[in-house]
Amino acid sequence: MIKFLAYACFIGSFLAFGFGTLGLFRFPDAYTRMHAVGMGDTLGVGLAGLGLLLLSPDWTVRLKLVFILLLFWLINPAMTHLVAKAGLIHGVRPAKDTKLRKG
Amino acid sequence: MRKRLIVLFIILFAFWLVISSAADLQHVLVGALIAFLTAWFWHDLGPRLPEVPSVRRALRLGWCLVLMVGYVIQANISVARAMLFSRHSVDPLFMVLDPGISTHWGRVLLATCITITPGTITVDIDPETGHFIVHALTGQIGRDLLYWRLIDKIRQLEEKEA
Repeated sequence: MIKFLAYACFIGSFLAFGFGTLGLFRFPDAYTRMHAVGMGDTLGVGLAGLGLLLLSPDWTVRLKLVFILLLFWLINPAMTHLVAKAGLIHGVRPAKDTKLRKG
Repeated sequence: MRKRLIVLFIILFAFWLVISSAADLQHVLVGALIAFLTAWFWHDLGPRLPEVPSVRRALRLGWCLVLMVGYVIQANISVARAMLFSRHSVDPLFMVLDPGISTHWGRVLLATCITITPGTITVDIDPETGHFIVHALTGQIGRDLLYWRLIDKIRQLEEKEA
């Protein structure tokens, strides 16, 4: 049963990365493509980590995996923010129909 | 100040112990040395770090993280729908958001939460006004962000500090 759940997680992770890659081709500009890649960075990595957690032989390995997942989830948003900010500063144009709204 | 550095040292050292392959004397000594040097090198970061949280606040923060996992799953589904079905197609926008959060750590936490949720990216934060510039994949995702429950939760965490 645990193996079945782990494999289901790996398939989910594969699908998240697959959809993320598809988004790179389907979305119109650099900013929207970052959202697509975010799918792999969050759900893809999360499900792969969960699958590995389920298959881990002992608690030391599980604890290490949890730390690695937390690191991923801390570092990825910071990098995404930096790339988006650098793009805006250096004049990377958003898609033509991008709107501007004050919330 | 010293208390924060000690906490930082303990966190770094614990992290080293968990990640290292063995817990023999060599690993422990090297880990302690590196954790001490890192904490000492970044000592001027001290005033920017949040106060050491109480148990109750740490639990509230933990609850925020649990909520985040739910939001990340929801957001992934929204982005996948926008990618796969043309009737949910992208309608990107840049929006200026005023979440009313005043502390450094609160802004960093919210910015991280916004960016980790696919569909929204924090592009910049104005340090003077605390306004966030956010890129949203669709108008609906942008509107949902205005009434995001997590913004209130982080505001509540801040109030406890004051």
